[in-house]
Amino acid sequence: MKYSIKRIIQLIPILIAITFLSFAMMRLAGSDVVEQKMLNTGQVVSEAQLEAAKAELGLDKPFLVQYCVWLGNLLHGDMGVSYVSGKDVFETFISKLPATLFLTVTSILLTIVISIPLGIISAVYKNKFWDYLIRFISFIGNSMPNFFVSLVLMYLLGIRLGLFPIISKDMSITSVAMPTFTLAIAMSAKYLRQVRATVLDELSKDYIMGAKSRGVKFSVILWKSVMRESLVTIITLLALSIGSLLGGTAIVESIFMWDGVGKMAVDAINMRDYPIIQAYVMWMAIIYVTVNLITDLSYRLLDPRIRLEDARDE
Amino acid sequence: MKGLKKSVAFVMAMALTMATFTGCGAKSETATSQSEVSSDAKKTFTFGDTTFNAENEEANIDPHDTYCGWACIRYGIGETLFKFNDNMELEPWVAESFENVDELTWKIVIKDGVTFSNGKAVDAAAVKACIEDLVAVHERAAGDLAIDTIEADGQTLTIKTQTPKPTLMNYLCDPYGCVIDVEEGNADGIVVGTGPFVCTELVTSDHLNLVKNENYWNGEVKIDEAKVITISDGDTLALALQNGDIDAAYGMAYANYPLFENDEYTFTGTPTSRAFFCQMNYNSPVIKDDVVRKALAMGIDKEGFVNTLLNGYGYVGVGAFPDNFSFGGDVVTTESYDPEKAKTLLEEAGWVDTDGDGIREKDGQTLTIRWISYPSRQELPLLAESAQATLKDIGFDIQLNVTADHGTIVAEKDTWDVYAAAFVTCGIGDPMYFFTTHCLDDSSKNRGGYHSDEIQALADEMNATFDAGARGDIAVKMQQQILDDNAFIFCSFLRMSMITKANVTGLVAHPSDYYEFTADLDIN
Repeated sequence: MKYSIKRIIQLIPILIAITFLSFAMMRLAGSDVVEQKMLNTGQVVSEAQLEAAKAELGLDKPFLVQYCVWLGNLLHGDMGVSYVSGKDVFETFISKLPATLFLTVTSILLTIVISIPLGIISAVYKNKFWDYLIRFISFIGNSMPNFFVSLVLMYLLGIRLGLFPIISKDMSITSVAMPTFTLAIAMSAKYLRQVRATVLDELSKDYIMGAKSRGVKFSVILWKSVMRESLVTIITLLALSIGSLLGGTAIVESIFMWDGVGKMAVDAINMRDYPIIQAYVMWMAIIYVTVNLITDLSYRLLDPRIRLEDARDE
Repeated sequence: MKGLKKSVAFVMAMALTMATFTGCGAKSETATSQSEVSSDAKKTFTFGDTTFNAENEEANIDPHDTYCGWACIRYGIGETLFKFNDNMELEPWVAESFENVDELTWKIVIKDGVTFSNGKAVDAAAVKACIEDLVAVHERAAGDLAIDTIEADGQTLTIKTQTPKPTLMNYLCDPYGCVIDVEEGNADGIVVGTGPFVCTELVTSDHLNLVKNENYWNGEVKIDEAKVITISDGDTLALALQNGDIDAAYGMAYANYPLFENDEYTFTGTPTSRAFFCQMNYNSPVIKDDVVRKALAMGIDKEGFVNTLLNGYGYVGVGAFPDNFSFGGDVVTTESYDPEKAKTLLEEAGWVDTDGDGIREKDGQTLTIRWISYPSRQELPLLAESAQATLKDIGFDIQLNVTADHGTIVAEKDTWDVYAAAFVTCGIGDPMYFFTTHCLDDSSKNRGGYHSDEIQALADEMNATFDAGARGDIAVKMQQQILDDNAFIFCSFLRMSMITKANVTGLVAHPSDYYEFTADLDIN
C-alpha cells in the first residue's frame, strides 16, 4: 500500500514535466490552429482578423502564460474546449475511450491466444518442423508494417471473402475484427518469439532435469513450473503493449475508421489543437505510470523472491 | 510428453473454437443487417467523404458556423435563396426573383409554398431572422454582405447594404446563406433547413445520419435514409466502395480511379474553378526579369502534367477561370509550352550556360528558382516535379521545397521565387474574388508584391459595375493583363469527381462543388 502511494505521488512531477515539454514542443512546430484552419479551408483573412482569432484563443500570449493558464484551469477540473470542434475536451476524450478500450481488450486477448500456445510449441519442438514453421511465420509477421497488414486483410477478408466490413460502423465484433487481427498479428509475431525464448531458458534449467528424473509429468512441469516462471517476462511485455494500445493505434484506427483516442490524437496534432493534445499526453502518462505500477505489483505477487528482496531492502 | 501433447491440443482446440466463434458471429451479423435492409425495403444511401471533418471547419451542419454550411448544402439539409446553374449563373431556389432597386437596395421575393423540414412555412420574416443571425455570428458573411437593414413584408425581403455590393446575390448563394429556421436553434450543431433531408445524428469528423424530409416542398425524396461517413484514408475509401460498405465516394485519390473504370461504377465529374497556379515573387531579382518569367511560362508542360501525371483528370489552364465560365477558358491567351523559344529568349537576354553544367548564368548569377509549394493537395507535388523536369531542359535550376510549413517561408519576401498553390478562383460565380484576393496592392494573397496600374484601374471599374456581362468583360481584360505580365501561370483546373455504384442515380457533380444530395438521389 505504502509502495503504491509512493508511486502515485511520483506521478505528479512526471505529469507536470511531460505536459510542460509537450506544450513547449507543440509551440516549436511553427504554426497554430488558426493558421492550419486558414490553410485547410483556403479562406482569405486579413492580418487583423488573424490576430483577433489568435487573441480569442489566447495564442497571442507568451508561452509560459499560456501554459500556466492551462495548468490553472486543469487544477480546477477544466480541461478546456477543443480549438477545432469547440467541444469540451474531457467529453470528447471520454467519448473516444470506449472504442480504444474495446480494441485493446480484443487485441490483447487474441495475442495471448495466438502467441502463448505457439511460443510453447515452438520451444518444445525446438529445431523441428513446427518450430521452423512458427518462426518463419513470426518473421513474416514482424516484417510487415501495420498499414500493409491492414490493406492485405481488407482485401482478403473484406473484398475477396466479404466476411467483414472495411470501415468500422459500430462497436461490434464484426467491426473490431479486422483492426484486432492487424494488431494481434504484429504483436503475436513478436511475443511468440519471446515466449519461446523464455520457455527454452526455463527448460534448460537444472530443476527441470530434476523434476523429470523424479518422474514428474512433463505437462505438470510445463504448466506449473515453466509457465509460472515465464509469466513475469510475458506480463512485462503485455503490460507495455496494453500501455501503447490504450494510447490508441493511430494508423490502424485511421485506416479502419475506428473512432478511438489514437485517431483523435493524430487529428489534433495535425490541427495544433493544443487542449486535446495536452489531454492525450496526460492520458498517456497516466497509463504508463499505472501500467508499470500494476506490473510491479504483479511481480511481487507472482515471484516471492521479489517480495523478499523488497522486504529486506526496507 | 503425452501430457504435453494433450495440453497443446487443448490450447489449440480452444483457439480454433474462438476463431470459429468469431467467424460465425461475423457472418451472422452481416446476414442480419442485410435481411433488415430487405425486410423493411428502405432505401439507404451511404456516402464516403474525405472532407466532412472539423479540420475543414465542417464540425457540424450549422451554416452560421465557420464553413459548416458546406456540409449543410452538400448533404441536402439546407438550400439558399438562389443557386448556381452549370454555367455558374444564378437561378431561383428558395427565392423566385430579385430586383436591384438602386445601388444599395435589393428586393427579393420568396417563393410561396416553401417549408422548413419541420413543416413551418418560409416567409420573408423567417429569412430576415436567418440572415440577421448569420451576420451577427459569422464574421466572413458580415464582411461579404455588408448589410445595413433588412425589411420583411409577406414574401418580400428588402435588403439595404452599407456600400454598393454588385455581387450580393452571389454571396447569398455561398453555403453560409442556407435558409434555416433559427427559432429551432442549433443543438449539437444540427439545424432545420428546407432541403430534402433532415439530420438525425451528427458525430463530428465521423458520421452524419439523415432521413428524408417528409415535408419537402420541391418534389418527392426518393431515398429514405442517408449516411455520410468521414473516411480520411484514401485506400480505405477505395476499398470501402469496392466492398459495398459505401454507395458513393467523394475525394478518391487519382491513383485509385482505374479500379472503378468499369461497368460496376459510374463517374460523375465536372470542371471546377479550383486552379493550380504559380505566383511570381517580384521581390526576387531573377523573377523581376521579364524574360525569365516568360521563359518559365513557356517551360511548363501543362498538357503533359494533366494528361500524364493527373491521368487526364483535370483541365489545362489558360487564365484564372475554366472554360465553363463565359469569362473563362480560351477567351484569353498566354504562352504555350515551347522550350525551344524559351531557350532562344533566354539566350538573347544574356542567360547562357557558360560553365557547361546545364544551368544558365548571367552576370555571375545562376538561373536558380526557389519553388515553394505544399503537399496537402495531391496535385501540387506532381506539378512541382513536372515543372522541375521540363524547366531543367531549358537551363533552369529549380530547387523544390514542398512543405506544410510553406506559409512561414512565403511570408519572408527574399526566401522564394515561385509559389505554386491551389485556389478556388470563382467560388461564388463572380470573377472579382480572385483579383481582390491575389492581384491588387492590398490583396492578402498578393504574396509576391505584384503591382499593375491597369489592374488597379480595372478593379475600381469592376467594383462600380453591376451588370454581370460587363463584369465578365472586365474580368477578361484583367486576366489578360496578369497573363501578359506573366505574374501568374495557371497550369490546370481540378476536375471534381464522385464515383458511385452503377445503381446510384441522381448524384451529379456540380462546378460549384456545393450541391450533392438532392431529392433525385436514388438507388435502383
